[in-house]
Amino acid sequence: MVVGTKRFIGMLIGAVLTGDAAHAHAADQGFVLLLPTTAYITGGTIAVAVTILLMFFLNTHQLARAFTPYDTGLPGRWFTPPRGFSLLASAALAALIYIGLAGPTDPQANLLPLTLWTVWWMALFVVQGVVCDVWRWINPWTGVFDTVFPDHKAPLVLPKSLSVWPAVLLFAAFMGFVLADTAPNDPERLATFALGYWLFTLTGMALFGRKAWLRQVECFTVLFGLIGNMRIAGGDRTLKLGVPGWQTFHGTRFDLSHAFFVLVLLAAGSFDGLHETFWWLGQLGINPLEYPGRTAMVQITTLGLIGAICLLTAVFAGAVWIGLRAVPVVDGQRAAGFAEAFIRFAIALLPIAIGYHFAHYFVTFLVQMQVVVATLADPLAKGWNLFGLAQSRVMVGFLTVPQTVKLIWLTQAGIVVLAHILSVILTHKTAETLCRTRADVLKMQLGLSFLMVAYTVFGLWLLASPRGV
Amino acid sequence: MTQPTKKPTKMNRRKALIGLGASTGALAAGGAFPGAERFAHAQSAAPIKIGFQKHATGIGAAYGRWYGATTDAAVKRINENGGINGRPVEIVVEDDATDPGRGAEVLEKFATQHEVDVAFGTLFSHVVIGSAPRAGELKLPYFVVSEGHHVASGMLNRYTLQPCITDVKSQVISMAPFVAENLGKKVTMIYPDFAFGHDHRDFFSEAIEAQGGEVVAKIAIPPTETTFTRYFPNIPRETEVIYHVMVGPAVLTFVKELGEFFGPNRPELFGFIDSLEAVDIQSPGLEFLEGSYFWEGMPRHAQAGDTEAQKAYRAAVGCNERGASVEDPANVSTYAHMFGCWETLNVIKAGMEAADYQGPADRPKLIEAVEAMSAIPASEDHPQGDKLFNGKTHQVFAQQHISKVTDGTLVVEHSTSIEDGMYEDEVDYTTQTF
Repeated sequence: MVVGTKRFIGMLIGAVLTGDAAHAHAADQGFVLLLPTTAYITGGTIAVAVTILLMFFLNTHQLARAFTPYDTGLPGRWFTPPRGFSLLASAALAALIYIGLAGPTDPQANLLPLTLWTVWWMALFVVQGVVCDVWRWINPWTGVFDTVFPDHKAPLVLPKSLSVWPAVLLFAAFMGFVLADTAPNDPERLATFALGYWLFTLTGMALFGRKAWLRQVECFTVLFGLIGNMRIAGGDRTLKLGVPGWQTFHGTRFDLSHAFFVLVLLAAGSFDGLHETFWWLGQLGINPLEYPGRTAMVQITTLGLIGAICLLTAVFAGAVWIGLRAVPVVDGQRAAGFAEAFIRFAIALLPIAIGYHFAHYFVTFLVQMQVVVATLADPLAKGWNLFGLAQSRVMVGFLTVPQTVKLIWLTQAGIVVLAHILSVILTHKTAETLCRTRADVLKMQLGLSFLMVAYTVFGLWLLASPRGV
Repeated sequence: MTQPTKKPTKMNRRKALIGLGASTGALAAGGAFPGAERFAHAQSAAPIKIGFQKHATGIGAAYGRWYGATTDAAVKRINENGGINGRPVEIVVEDDATDPGRGAEVLEKFATQHEVDVAFGTLFSHVVIGSAPRAGELKLPYFVVSEGHHVASGMLNRYTLQPCITDVKSQVISMAPFVAENLGKKVTMIYPDFAFGHDHRDFFSEAIEAQGGEVVAKIAIPPTETTFTRYFPNIPRETEVIYHVMVGPAVLTFVKELGEFFGPNRPELFGFIDSLEAVDIQSPGLEFLEGSYFWEGMPRHAQAGDTEAQKAYRAAVGCNERGASVEDPANVSTYAHMFGCWETLNVIKAGMEAADYQGPADRPKLIEAVEAMSAIPASEDHPQGDKLFNGKTHQVFAQQHISKVTDGTLVVEHSTSIEDGMYEDEVDYTTQTF
């Protein structure tokens, strides 16, 4: 049968557009849409707004006391990892890279993407920001470097004035890889990236010095150090315990590059959620029910990520500026310079960044962690049964049980609200350190308070929105 | 002789069994290659390598998991029965991320890096459409399990075949006689407003008119819509049947709101199970679907008259009587579609054996052997039922099922004849050269 050219083109377009719709499944997202999320969002937002109001009634001393840590007296050196741990971590990374290159080609059966994305990126991030400093123990460069280059003197000097700006750029590039790369799960591709970055970092350490490179360029050491400020446990000489965020008020110095790192982290995390929503795809004229795949979205996702970073920076800067303008000038002097306020308040956003990370990955983590455990039994697809794990099963049915879906959603939403509440408290405490009078403390937070409430609505809306990716 | 591979390509053999209820005994036996002696009579002991283009990640991942489980169960059975031409079958999995661009890259990897004999297993239409031209360039036989009309429409090429799952045009056409005779002749269609919905609208409108019925209203819903009540007043009072093909995360909301709108006095409802594939039909909010009708490619719930082949298939893929994982009963499978993987692998086996396939040089012979197939009788190889393959259009036609939700179970009310879904050929791929 001869088909006319016009009809053929029509058929072609029709067929190309006939996408995945028939198979876009309705499971957990469908049950979330049936939940009264508007009421939950309202409740969560009220909780954050009420916290802002309550802060006004607290006196300075009460908050200062809350942020004074308890000194356990335990020597800090007890917690310094021996070199062996880092060497073990390096060996583990080498094994994972080998598995990535030579192991199963299915990313759901290959330990490299499973470990890097599920264990390291999803889980370790949260542990690092909430529980303890695991990264110090498993940093895959320090042990190798100290073994290969004992008493090393770097031939080149990394200017201190660069601070962590190189890490900001590298981290933004990493988030670009996470969000926009065509196949970040592909074992071979990921192995190549991981090996390349490991060699790049080791070379940098050799050329510019271990300490300088890790502190200023290696973006994950910088990241984990930065979010580590939110941990309960901290301190140098002795171990101290305190309210999350206490460390930011006790000795840690931040500059503009640290502030930008936090903004990139929060913006990338927020955009990670946003770019999957029906709303975002609708803005792009993309039908979420026939998502065209990552390959078609590389440019727009990259631009979106850059846009999100710029937008958040501008909105945040505006909120800080409003606060500064609201505080009266006394004797020709402002309470704080813009740069100082911008830096200090940006650090107070860290809890939100950690909370979003948790909420965004929680469901994926619950499934993928089971896949990790099951794959540990047979990492090279040889039919092994290591650790007796071959019996383990990956259960995904809980995502189609309404009660479980509700519990998971409320857990995610609860964490997002708690993160905002903590951020509100840190912001208030930061304002107290910058202002002389109680009235000034309130005025200083004028713009930021609106931002906090708006961001709570946004974060909860992200969780409740239908997603097309 | 097959060429030595440049890179080791392994599937994780136990992965097939994870969470999907297959017996753990198979693991201990070493998975897909039980007993080399079974293959001793082959001219070459090298495995037949089948590249599985899997939706392991991306929006197709829920389907990918079950397509993977079915594939592995089918390969296990084929190998236990002596493999293909006496050679074991090895599945090489690559993730296409449910992405057409990535799909084409994956086919390239199959052909040049893994040096597979054929590629197989793609579901999502846009990935098939994005990959098929590359399959043609690489001269790699590409067996899809997609149910899209793109194969039979003539837009692809001689290397792309769909030998075991009926295309959507045939599925829709074959529904019209039952709907007109049993549910009503005045039909209101509610469908998502893009190509998928338009296909249903166009194919069904024509088919129901041929049965003396008519579509009294066509209600197109924007794909991003998440609440539907405001569209329901557009359903004409004279409507006897609502034909719905809503898809995506808002389906449950759609059903709930439809129930709230109509209450107990509703017209008949007819839909495609695609809307609720991998979702328990007894989920809260879906009560309104009791007594309604669904198309099913293969009945999800065990039926009283199931054949031994159907029972054996259900057990092999690790599903219980409700089409869910034996080990994780809340995990409902994609039962209406995934049989296509099982059956397609058996067609590849039959085609290779008919062509005396020895290696990639015999790929054209394999395609010609499959094109020569016509009637495919129901058997353990083809548990879904009898089929008729059209070698010219590279598309199979099969019996379809219409199930009624009865006390929360999908009970087959009617099975169509193969002829109900036949339509005029739109292409003859056999005229294309290799």
